Amino acid sequence: MSAPAALLAGALRPRYAAPVGAAFAALAVLATVRGWSAGGGTVDVPWAPTYDLRFTVELDGLAVLYALLATGIGCAVLVYSSHYLPLHLEHEGRPESEGTSFYFFILLFMGSMVGLAMAQDLILLFVFWDLTAIASYYLIGFDRHEEDSRASALMALLVTGITAVFLLIGALMLYAAHGTFSIPELTRLTEPGPLLAVAGGLIAVAGLAKSAQVPFHFWLPRAMAAPTPVSAYLHSAAMVAAGVLLIGRVYPLIQKSDLLLDALLVVGLASMAVGGVLALTRDVLKQLLAYSTVSQYGYVVFMYGLGGKYGAAGAAFYVIAHALSKSALFLTAGAVTEATGEDRLSRLGGMRKPLPMLALASGLAAAGLAALPLTIGFFKDELFFGAALERGPVFSALTVLGAALTFAYIWRFWSGIFLGAPRDGACGVPVALVAPVVALGALVLVGGVFVGPFAELAVAAGTVSYDAPAVVEPAYHLDARPENLMALAAYALGVLIVVSRPVWSGAAMGVSRLGEVAGPERLYDLTVRGLNRFSDFVHRAEVRDLRSRVAAILLPAGILVGVGFLVTPTEGAYRVGEVRAQDAPLILALLSVAVASLTTTITRRHVTLALVLSSAGFVLALVYAFFGAPDVALVAVLVETILTLVFVATLKLVPRKVLHRQAGLPTERPRRKVFFSVIAGAFAFAVVWGTLSQPAAERSVADEHLRLTPEAHAKDAVTAILADFRGLDTLGEISVVALVLLAVATLLNAGRLR
Amino acid sequence: MTSVLTRMVAKLLLLPTLVAAVAILVKGYTQPGDGFSAGIVAGLGVVLQYLAFGREEAEKLPVVRSAGVIAFAGLLISLFVMLAPLFLGDPILTHYPPPEAEVLIFGTLEILTAVLFDVGVFLLVFGFSVGTVGIISRSIAVEEEYAADAIEPDSEPGTEARS
Repeated sequence: MSAPAALLAGALRPRYAAPVGAAFAALAVLATVRGWSAGGGTVDVPWAPTYDLRFTVELDGLAVLYALLATGIGCAVLVYSSHYLPLHLEHEGRPESEGTSFYFFILLFMGSMVGLAMAQDLILLFVFWDLTAIASYYLIGFDRHEEDSRASALMALLVTGITAVFLLIGALMLYAAHGTFSIPELTRLTEPGPLLAVAGGLIAVAGLAKSAQVPFHFWLPRAMAAPTPVSAYLHSAAMVAAGVLLIGRVYPLIQKSDLLLDALLVVGLASMAVGGVLALTRDVLKQLLAYSTVSQYGYVVFMYGLGGKYGAAGAAFYVIAHALSKSALFLTAGAVTEATGEDRLSRLGGMRKPLPMLALASGLAAAGLAALPLTIGFFKDELFFGAALERGPVFSALTVLGAALTFAYIWRFWSGIFLGAPRDGACGVPVALVAPVVALGALVLVGGVFVGPFAELAVAAGTVSYDAPAVVEPAYHLDARPENLMALAAYALGVLIVVSRPVWSGAAMGVSRLGEVAGPERLYDLTVRGLNRFSDFVHRAEVRDLRSRVAAILLPAGILVGVGFLVTPTEGAYRVGEVRAQDAPLILALLSVAVASLTTTITRRHVTLALVLSSAGFVLALVYAFFGAPDVALVAVLVETILTLVFVATLKLVPRKVLHRQAGLPTERPRRKVFFSVIAGAFAFAVVWGTLSQPAAERSVADEHLRLTPEAHAKDAVTAILADFRGLDTLGEISVVALVLLAVATLLNAGRLR
Repeated sequence: MTSVLTRMVAKLLLLPTLVAAVAILVKGYTQPGDGFSAGIVAGLGVVLQYLAFGREEAEKLPVVRSAGVIAFAGLLISLFVMLAPLFLGDPILTHYPPPEAEVLIFGTLEILTAVLFDVGVFLLVFGFSVGTVGIISRSIAVEEEYAADAIEPDSEPGTEARS
């Protein structure tokens, strides 16, 4: 949990970042296990009670499962990348120090993933959700000099970020109806109905997009532009898992609506089919694995859609089994590519000779995914079939078909790399690239023999999702029960698919081509391009030159204010109050402001113009002082001073001859300018006059602040408001100031602050 | 080059400006003024040095060289004041001592976390104004190197900085 903090220490020395990160990930694993064996724990801190926002995290079953996945597989991936990344950077010709940001973001991802797993509050969930999206953007776009990888990172960010807004909308809808963001409380309060269906649906859309389900699946294969450890981590255990984690977390709400469950079924099935078929057509290793991830998470969503205790616990179990196997396979793909320089199935083969350990370990992982007995995968399919059997024969048949597809594409992956005629040019790979695969493969095998601990974890997670005990007992049964028969049927069908490849390969390629022409990715491209064009259009119309920019602000502002002015009743407004003798200095000051303002319209020399403008400002500051607002007056004087200096300094940059010539030029399009100015000025004048004639009766906020000022130990209300009552606003504003400083440094000084 | 008088006044004014800024800052809770105004006043003091002595002399001042550090230290202080109450179990931005409790008074200065928050604002605004002026003046100097026929501009009044 403190992994990102630990990284900062490691970041000082790029060489140490990886071991430090891995050590902390391992520590986090231990901490999670210990927390879980101690019976979980809860932290509940209200961090903005005014808005009902609480920092509520609880280490429940679901949280433990995903936290273990995130930290455990993260640990393996970190060990792997400690050797992979220097090689990768060397290939790309980049300095080794750039690896530090990689570790930073992967640990940031890990931290936010753990937070996401433990969050019990929808807003907190949203915060962590977006943190993972941001970290993933930098990880996917790690090779930032390549346009393709930048575009992929942006696509992942847009797809998951825009749908995250749906999560926020859903959360706000639930809050509006029930007055709480807390998921356990919402579970108690909500009742089936259209509101729950819509809000739950919106939240589910966010989850489905993150899990790369149809029709949002297109970002995942594109995201394979990332370095292999990133793919292995994000696309097996972390990022896509976050999607089903969200569904599992809000499942107590979702399962109240049959409509949502049916929608999950449809989406899950579609993803299984699309992902499975496309995985059979891909030639690039990581692309194949990406589509298989789409299809595998389709199973999980499908199981949530089936519902029941088998659905809830089975989905959790499936996530464990899949994450272990899939990350091992991704790491295999990276190691093989590292050894041969090839990333296409058609150019690989016979690798079992040079890399026997890797072949064995990834064979175990592949067997796990294909659900062969003696691996953890067997049980995932057992639960999968069990869940489907509860819903009748049609679903059973579909699940068998899905399992057969899995079998086929996994066989294609493994046999394509390791079997067949050996090729030349293969060299050995470092131990650190093989060891994590071996460890994960061993886990897959251990899970196949001693399924107890894994099942316990899944049951605990399923219980949270199902909101009732979801006890399932996966085990080997040597009899002809339906689950076993279905497994056998799936193997047989899978072999059939493998053998009959020439028959269907044309059709599968056709589907793939169709997806490229009319798929959602094209829609995404069109949308992004259209938005870009629209933004260019607005840019050209509004900010191309200074004159139209000013007009673009003045004219709409004037018209809007004017419309508001015309529809407001004007009774009682526009009174002219009586003028008393003691107001004389005030009136004098205001008069001189007016004179100065009028002068600006006829002045031609630039320096004079700047000075006249600033004199108007100084006199206005004086007016504030008359009104008894010394704080405002002080700030006004200071701001005016700075502005004058900026004006004069800017004029100093322009050669004096140019200034002279400019001052002598006739005004361009004077009538247009006068028209704009009069519209904006006249309406502003009318509105200010109207407002000042009728001082608002309620001044509750100001009175409240004045009353509270002594309580805050202050005698100056303005300062008390700035530092205390509205401190958060101040903080936001000064953060903007800091950002502007960075922006100035970036634009003018190549990012250096000195 | 500016006149001797301007330079002398500028030199003499730097320290008083900074003192005045600190006064505006710490007295903010009892009298007009706050971190923002204090930061601007202090920033103006430094800008005056730029106007009187030119870029190269002004950049020898330690505050100019570490403007970025000052700004972000300020932001960190404010963030810390905002987040620290979380660890004590209070909502963010709770200030200590709480209402109605005794305040430690040091001379005429009240010791409050809100003042510390304002110190953060002050440092940020100060660092921002000095840093921006520094960066802009440097980029101008770079441009002037390119444009060989730069015209020597006349001196501009720096007296307003005293307000």
